[in-house]
Parts: sequence; C-alpha cells; structure tokens
Amino acid sequence: MRALIVDDSAVMRKVIERALRQAGLELTEVLQASNGEEALQMLRENHNASAPLALILSDINMPVMDGLQFLETRRAEKLAQGVPVVMITTEGNETFVLRAIAAGAQGYICKPFTAEQVKVRVLPLLRAA
Amino acid sequence: MSDVRNDAVNRLDSAVSEVFETMLERSCDPLEGEVDTVESKIVARIQFTGAVDGECLLYASQATASVTAEALLGTPSEPHDPMVDDAIGELCNMIAGGWKSKLASPDSNCSISTPAVTRDGLEGYQAKFGTKFSRNYSFQGNVFGVVLAF
Repeated sequence: MRALIVDDSAVMRKVIERALRQAGLELTEVLQASNGEEALQMLRENHNASAPLALILSDINMPVMDGLQFLETRRAEKLAQGVPVVMITTEGNETFVLRAIAAGAQGYICKPFTAEQVKVRVLPLLRAA
Repeated sequence: MSDVRNDAVNRLDSAVSEVFETMLERSCDPLEGEVDTVESKIVARIQFTGAVDGECLLYASQATASVTAEALLGTPSEPHDPMVDDAIGELCNMIAGGWKSKLASPDSNCSISTPAVTRDGLEGYQAKFGTKFSRNYSFQGNVFGVVLAF
C-alpha cells in the first residue's frame, strides 16, 4: 500500500507514518511532501503509476500552499480521484472542517492525536475505497 | 489574577497536559515559582490573527528540546539534528492550537500561523499585546516555558 503524507513538519510526518504502521497498514511506500505544492507535483508525477496511492493524509497550516488549497487544486486537476483524504491538523475550528469536507476530505483528525484515533478514522475509509 | 488571565492560564495548562499525554505519553505539570531559563535558547513562535490577535512562544534548552524530539519520534536524536528544532516548533503548534480550540466562539474564530523557530532566546522580548503571562512546565525533570500574549 502506498500513502502520501503532507505536513511541513518532518517530525510530524514520521509520527503519522508510525501511527499508520501501528494501525496495521502494510505500507510499501510513503511519499512525503512538506506543503501542498510539493504534494500536487508528486500526484502529477504519479498519475500513471502502476501501484496507485491508497491514502493521502494532509495538514492544513503549511507554508507555500496550505492543505485546503491543495485539496481544491487536486480536485480541479482531477488528481488521485477516489483516493481517500484525511486531514490531520491543529485547526479544529468548524469553519476549517467544513471547508476541508467541501474540498474533498473524507476524514478529519485533530492534533494531538493517538495512534488509535488514526486507526479508527483511516481503516473504514480504506475498506470503503 | 483577573478572570480573563485565570481562564487563559487554565486553558494553557490543559492544552499542555493533553499534548504531552497524547503525543509523548508523559505527564507534564506546571511549575510554580521562579525557574532558571537562561539556557532556554530555542524559541518557537506561533501567531494568532483574527478574533484573537496574539502569540504563543515556547522556549526550551537544547537538552529539553532533544528529549522532546526523542519522545515524539521514539528514536534518539543526533547532535545538531534539525528534527530537534522541528519538534519544538510542532510542540508549540499543538499547544497553541489546543489553547485556541478551548476558546469560546467567536474568539476561537482566529487563525494560527505556522511555527517559526529561532535560537536567540527570549532576551529583549517584549509582547505587543495587552495581556501577557509566562508559565513554566516540567516533564520528567525537563523544564520549558510558554509565553502567551494577546
């Protein structure tokens, strides 16, 4: 299974990857991007990859391009359609949650989080995909 | 202590405790009284804009920052590891976000910046906001401080 983690903190990208592995996901490759623009570039380059992405996890507050702009551009460019997206962010404000859902996010996890919370939010999305 | 300040302190204590218990699996408690923070040169800053204008600063020594990075990552940190500054920035981010999320609406309708981390300490720091307080915390004997100004 291939996953993309988008967060400006390298520490947080590692913490999220560890939580995914603790949730039992058998990750064969984890792509990492430090902002939305980098993530879009990875999606464009992986558009015709033989092993498609199974999951995208993204922060909201990031320099260069934030997570909401990333979602909106991804949708406009029809990149990684059908791949579940879960936002992992300190922005628990309802306005941000609604904007993220409107832009195509299927899940929302607030920092700080436990590995169990990641498991509960992510696994049902993978089963449904 | 005024009600506004008292509420802000309680929210901060709660946010710090939640972050440590959830992400680092450690308890972290406020320290009362004077604490020597001369060695606390690593400073992370998050700014609030919108319904609340202000900032949250977290300052720690190299030793405390290294222990924090190790606790977050579950692996030892190397000398001069950039992950150490990153960990302090992310810690400040989660504490500031937690503090903000505990505000009642409409004050919670504010944005928070990405963290900026420096190694200049807090010498000469002056808050530009009306209410300011600092609070020291300890986890397993490692001390760090938080300044909130709004």
